[in-house]
Amino acid sequence: MIPKIEYFSPVNLTELLKLLDRHQQAAKIIAGGTDIIAGFHQGSARFKGIKYLIDLNWIDELKKVELSSDGIVIGSAASFSEILKNELINHHFPLLSTAASRVGSVQIRNRATIGGNFVNNAPCADSVPALLVYDAEIRIRSVEAERAVSLADFLLKPYQTQLRSDEVVTQIRLPFLSENYLGDFYKLGRRRGVAISRITLAVLMKLVESKIDDIRIASGAVTPIGKRFVSLEQFARGKTVSDHLYRELARMLGNEILDATGLRWSSAYKLPVVQQTFYQQLQHIYQTGNLR
Amino acid sequence: MTIELNFTINEKKITLKTEPNRRLLDILRQELNLTGTKEGCAIGECGACTVVMNGKAVNSCLVLAPQINGAEILTVEGLEKDQRLHFLQENFLKHGAVQCGFCTPGMLMSAYALLSKNPNPTEAEVKEAIAGNLCRCTGYKQIIDAILETEGDIK
Amino acid sequence: MKKTFNLVGKPVIRQDGYSKVTGKARFADDINYPDQLFGVMVRLPIAHARIKKIDFSEIENHPSVITICTAGDISGSNISGIIKQDQPVFCDQKIVTPGDVVAMLVGEDEELLRQLAGKVKYEIEPLPALTDPRKALDSDAVLIHPESKSNLIVHYPLRKGDIERGFSQSDHIVEQTYTTQLIEHGYIEPETVIAIPLAADRSVKIIGSIQNPFTARRIVAQALDLPLTRVRVEQAELGGSFGGKDDTMDILSARAAVAALKTGRPVKIRYRREESVLESYKRHPYILHYKVGFSREGKIKAMKIDILADGGAYASMSPFVTWRSVAQATGPYEVENVCTDVRAVYTNNPYTGAMRGFGSPQPIFAQESIMDEIANQLGKTPDEIRWINCLHSGSITATGQKLEKHDVNLIKVLDTAVQKTNFSRQWQACKDKNKSILPFIQKTHASQADKSLLLESEDLVAPDLLLRKGIGLALSYRGCSLGAEGIDAAAAYLSVQPDGSLYLVSGLAENGQGMRTTFSIIAAETLGLSVEDIHYLELDTGIVPDSGPTVASRSTLMGGGAVKIAAEIVRDRLQKFLCDFWKLNKQDVLCFEKNKVFSESDPQKTLRFSEVCQLAYRKGVCLAAIGWYPGPKVDWDESVGQGAAYFTYVYGCQVAEVTVNLGTGEVYVDRVVAVHDPGKVINLLGAQGQVYGGVTQGAGYGLWEEISSADGFIRELNFDQIFIPTSKDVGEIVPVFVEGDDQHGPWGAKSLGEPTLELTAAAIANAVRNAVGVRFFNLPLNLEEIVLKRKLKPGGLKRGSAV
Repeated sequence: MIPKIEYFSPVNLTELLKLLDRHQQAAKIIAGGTDIIAGFHQGSARFKGIKYLIDLNWIDELKKVELSSDGIVIGSAASFSEILKNELINHHFPLLSTAASRVGSVQIRNRATIGGNFVNNAPCADSVPALLVYDAEIRIRSVEAERAVSLADFLLKPYQTQLRSDEVVTQIRLPFLSENYLGDFYKLGRRRGVAISRITLAVLMKLVESKIDDIRIASGAVTPIGKRFVSLEQFARGKTVSDHLYRELARMLGNEILDATGLRWSSAYKLPVVQQTFYQQLQHIYQTGNLR
Repeated sequence: MTIELNFTINEKKITLKTEPNRRLLDILRQELNLTGTKEGCAIGECGACTVVMNGKAVNSCLVLAPQINGAEILTVEGLEKDQRLHFLQENFLKHGAVQCGFCTPGMLMSAYALLSKNPNPTEAEVKEAIAGNLCRCTGYKQIIDAILETEGDIK
Repeated sequence: MKKTFNLVGKPVIRQDGYSKVTGKARFADDINYPDQLFGVMVRLPIAHARIKKIDFSEIENHPSVITICTAGDISGSNISGIIKQDQPVFCDQKIVTPGDVVAMLVGEDEELLRQLAGKVKYEIEPLPALTDPRKALDSDAVLIHPESKSNLIVHYPLRKGDIERGFSQSDHIVEQTYTTQLIEHGYIEPETVIAIPLAADRSVKIIGSIQNPFTARRIVAQALDLPLTRVRVEQAELGGSFGGKDDTMDILSARAAVAALKTGRPVKIRYRREESVLESYKRHPYILHYKVGFSREGKIKAMKIDILADGGAYASMSPFVTWRSVAQATGPYEVENVCTDVRAVYTNNPYTGAMRGFGSPQPIFAQESIMDEIANQLGKTPDEIRWINCLHSGSITATGQKLEKHDVNLIKVLDTAVQKTNFSRQWQACKDKNKSILPFIQKTHASQADKSLLLESEDLVAPDLLLRKGIGLALSYRGCSLGAEGIDAAAAYLSVQPDGSLYLVSGLAENGQGMRTTFSIIAAETLGLSVEDIHYLELDTGIVPDSGPTVASRSTLMGGGAVKIAAEIVRDRLQKFLCDFWKLNKQDVLCFEKNKVFSESDPQKTLRFSEVCQLAYRKGVCLAAIGWYPGPKVDWDESVGQGAAYFTYVYGCQVAEVTVNLGTGEVYVDRVVAVHDPGKVINLLGAQGQVYGGVTQGAGYGLWEEISSADGFIRELNFDQIFIPTSKDVGEIVPVFVEGDDQHGPWGAKSLGEPTLELTAAAIANAVRNAVGVRFFNLPLNLEEIVLKRKLKPGGLKRGSAV
């Protein structure tokens, strides 16, 4: 059940930051509520001891999606439905649109927010791999300061981030990519409709004359938190694409995941499947030439 | 802590006082006696509590009462007008889309939200729109047929 | 036999449809009483323990706790059970599974009570938890119910012919073991009940999401030590059941009734999903060992079958569920020599009972898988091997029963399914195409849990090789109604009013399946009315005779039979009255059609039905009747499992077409063609709905659903982890009805609800075999099963899909 709480509906950032500053650990930010209200019902330890709920829904600037000089800026309280229908995102960052389309159900997407997805930092957060390959940078505000941090650095371990109790994530900034990126987002669930991810993979690749000029690889649900595979990316850069290379990369991804995760109950399934899936994805990207 | 809520439900303006830790679902069922909206799982997985809020389908079990301030909400009770069933309801009957009926109100509201945005959906779009509404009786087929037949007839 | 119908067999809109599409239908939790209290359960977090002391001192004086109900408040019998009495209403001696309840807190603030329930202190002596049914009968196994002297709930032997001679006459023998999993019914409405004390007549009224009001009444009366008449049970609109709202609801009703009488106020119990999944019973997991001998021509000579069912902590319906299994375990085939043993055992797992299918989906999965293996071994197609063996008119079943006096349509449904899907050609084509087993799959199937499960680069498979198509079929016969397992009769009450409208109700329950509409069609057809003329009353144990439970797909057959009899009684009285009135011969037949009654011989003699009723009413004709439909005789010799198990049967064949992704283990059901002989279809819309719904549930059983438990504790407590199918998960479903003639049931109408479900998982499993080239033995065929050929279980009990 939902504990007895005091509820705040600040209408601007200043008000919000003051409230956070005043209540610190006793306060929790609520946006879509899809994690927190379900979590209350299930008696989740993550939501124990909360006395104040501070709602982001009344602050319009946190819901905007805008162009900036070098990319787009997504308000942290933008819902997945808004992201899904946003033309800018669809055009410039289609893997994020695809990821958004695979989050929960229509009802969940209408409420759940992009900020909530990674601030909650569940291993299976669908948008995280897509944001990671786009080199998402997030903006964090407190009464005292604003700071910028890459999403990759922001995520610490399952259900833990750098976010302090007096802070709020205000924006996600995605820098434009140069032209000629190919890419794909893949999600595997236990069923087709509304499913928690078993595996997510996001891949971006830029080829120059059959050589990999840039490649970005991120996964979710197979590692403790969403993760970029930097050394694998480095290995691949400059190499000429071939079936052989794809096979080698897929083999190596399995090793990297095993190193990062150790053996889990699900490893026997997930490791070979993620290798096979990644191999397919590279083939698919090369063959269909999907932009970004 | 008591808060005052002002919102519109089924085209009726409502003002009421409540506690902030209640859910939209509780307001509907307990305060307003609108028991057509059902509770099946309380975690947003079954869709039995689906209502249309500001034009969008939402799980009313995951909306906090204070979040509905100023909102326009439509529940299953608001579909029938002047004792005439909405086309969607009629098509549900005609196609046999109802068995036990527990998922039906939520299913109708998801369908309504879809058709108000997209009057001519494809079968795939219909399936996607109701994927968050579990039904254990019908296998969905007759529900999908009913929604597809309602295309264009939403208003 | 009536030749043409006005209503029967046509699509008819549900009678309760209007109330359900407008939100006006009143489900149990939609009903509230102004001064009602809530009951909240107290459970102990252990699967098996002796209770030494329950200490309420911390909460008993809390102002919100109006009373606490325990075993001490039960004036009658605290031990309940529909068949075997072994389940306490409130546990006071032992805990035998984590769903067990020791007490119920009663008060006005439900949420507060839930918090207080956690503050109850207790002293217990933990006992070893028995969770592996294969160890239940070991001599050193801990006894779940020591008074039973053994963990054996029931053992049914079946002996026919000479099993050893059968094997010696066989050219080939296959021997295989299959397993099926525990699953949850997944009704969307959780359990809710309200008990209202009726002080004036010292009785109690129960309103709830109750599948079998008469059973609930019996259990409540027994617990309260009241005559049956002092307990009235009314069924609220029921939000799905599928066999699942019986035992649990009976006990919940008893708890609510105890509290209502104790406090003198209405008491409501409503379960949250987690509680519902935790406490309610499930479908039995089976371990099925089959040894089948057959000739080189494909004729089955002998079947030796050993089945072990995990009954969990209480007997519940295990004795009846496994009885159906023993009767039907060979499948719909002529087998001369059969030796079957079915056992159900107690464990500390969640208890298992009735669920749609009721002991048939498990053996069908095993036996139909084996039929395909035999076909593969002999180079025949699956339909050929079934053709050679399947039951026909005059066949003797495994229980020694001769199939007669109805259309034994097994071959007809098989042929229809095969033709509609071009089965043999498709099957052969897929088999040839899918002959090679991918090295990737060979490797993962052979893998053990260590680093070797990483693939090497040469193991990876080109994407276009990963998607495999397959087609498979499954065939069944199903005994209708309860069979020799129970008393079988049903009643209907029909009361025509002077204006020609009429009330109808039967002692069976509307569980969402559309029974009210079916029964209204039967009454309307018989009296020449339209369905709108019929007002179906709410079921209340006070107004209509006990008709047994609404189970075993028996409503249309038994209750429908009773409705037809009731309508015929009234029609005959009206006919007699009109013959006098019109001065016709007694032999003259009157027609009841289109709200009119007329004489065939003299068209001048016509009256509207309402006028006839008005006249008859004034002349003192009784226009109300109770129809009583007793099931025909069945007989059974329990020592050898021989006899006429059921008085009639239905037949079905489903063909599944699937696409398997070998890279991920995903199975997508592209199409299921479901051919069923339900006897006569009464409401086409309802019959089709049964097929769509049953096949979809069957697909969930085959591919995704599983309740896993560790030390008796269930891991999947809500729909985030219980994967019942959504709108996106199953492809096309094509219902086909092959109607057969039968002397029983209204115009020969029999059963459909369960047959639609029992075949699907088996058909899918055979299609997967056709696609992958590998046989899978363990349901569900989920991602891990396909890729690894084994199940993976998380170690801890934490919720959510972490890594």
